Amino acid sequence: MKRTIAVVLLLTMNAMAGDLTGKWSGSFKVDGADHGVPQLLIFKQDGANLTGSGGPDQNEQYPIENGKIDGERVGFEITTGEWKFTYHLSARDARMSGDLELTSVNDKRTAKITLSKTE
Amino acid sequence: MELFAARLTATAVRFSPTNVRRLILSVHLFTALLAGSLIVILGATGSVMEFEPELDHLLHPHLSYINPGMRVLSLREIGDAVSRRFNGEPVVAYQPSLSPDLSSQVLLPSGVAYVNQYTGEVLGMRPRGQTFLGYARALHLRLASGDFGRNVMKWSGICVLLSLASGAYLWWPIKQVCIRRWGGARFWFDVHNAIGIFSLLPLAMLAATGTVLGFEDHIAPMIYKLTRSSPIPTSRSVVREPAPGAAAITPDEAVAIARVHVPGAVPYRVQMPKYGGVYVIALLYPQDTVAGGDNLVALDPYNGNVVSLSRSSDLSRGDRLLALNEAIHTGSILGMPSRIAAWLASTTVIVQLCSGLLIWLSGSRTMLGSRGSAKQERVP
Repeated sequence: MKRTIAVVLLLTMNAMAGDLTGKWSGSFKVDGADHGVPQLLIFKQDGANLTGSGGPDQNEQYPIENGKIDGERVGFEITTGEWKFTYHLSARDARMSGDLELTSVNDKRTAKITLSKTE
Repeated sequence: MELFAARLTATAVRFSPTNVRRLILSVHLFTALLAGSLIVILGATGSVMEFEPELDHLLHPHLSYINPGMRVLSLREIGDAVSRRFNGEPVVAYQPSLSPDLSSQVLLPSGVAYVNQYTGEVLGMRPRGQTFLGYARALHLRLASGDFGRNVMKWSGICVLLSLASGAYLWWPIKQVCIRRWGGARFWFDVHNAIGIFSLLPLAMLAATGTVLGFEDHIAPMIYKLTRSSPIPTSRSVVREPAPGAAAITPDEAVAIARVHVPGAVPYRVQMPKYGGVYVIALLYPQDTVAGGDNLVALDPYNGNVVSLSRSSDLSRGDRLLALNEAIHTGSILGMPSRIAAWLASTTVIVQLCSGLLIWLSGSRTMLGSRGSAKQERVP
């Protein structure tokens, strides 16, 4: 019985998040920064794994690493050089929002991010 | 008529030199009391940031310092050494050393690897994350918080300017430049005056340039308007998909191509095409302390064609003015001498706040001019 409930729950949660494959766009603004940064993420979902790329636009894309989907929760990392971007998002329908953690070798910043599915 | 005369007299009294001086003293005092702790944070963290690279090396000596060798390895050889050590982890970017006795850095997704560029020895790895130096920077820029902290620090710069202007006005009739007596309130009064006047110019420059940086989003458009220029755009053309089986050029070949386009400059960063789609090579003219690092060449990784090119020599007048402002603020404008001057000026902020507080606490307000006359302030 418990197993059935868990399976149903898992399926329901997966249904809530839907298939993330596709293009997502939005922006984030780092706390204390004076301007927002555009985001274009191209996801490929394979079960609970997430791959693809992300960056400010189509021409500048970085590979997605350690991408994981757990129900509504979506987590992945992008390294752009000195900075590593760690995304902690929550997906619902065609929208995603959550926290972004930016770390460099000496620094750590946080930002709120919102994305919506465009394709 | 009598009433008008009385009002006129009252106005004259209000604007007498004594009253103006008293008002300026109040401004000086209240600015210090209101924003004193923030100004101390600006000064203390600014002095740390002045030597941030050197402090970073000192805090990680085993990763930073190496013995200079005869031959510098190619980026590919350095990358291979790092990949072997870290189980084939891909290289995100290379940061070649700009000094013969400092190691090169290789950026990886898991952190930053330090490599001896003469032997290929991997000296170690540093993970990304907050450190003391990063925290000092965060305090200086935004009080280690978000938008609120950033605004507070911006306005603290204005408070420093106000404090300096009022301090200079109060100093002028006294013209005290030496310490006449050791110990007591008089000592702190002399210290405050002497250090205040000697540090006035460098501090004013630091505060003014810092204020421009803090309000840059408002000031930059005005600078571009005044200089009748605009920011240099940094667009890049789209890289076409490579032919199947096409091999990418090596990072060393990419650097060689970039150096042709920015002759005389040395590379300080090479971003790999897997991370961003193109090779991005940042180059530096060490002798140009204002905008020497503003050279970027982006290359198609398959045919080596230039995708975008921005050179410091192409900067607009507005760009150069903003770069000059930053170079003055960071002290990099004249190299080490100006960095030392900026460090000293930042440190004196702490001394000034402490000596000012001691004068105020010791009840020597009359000495500072609560009676207002410069003559009284000359009492030895």
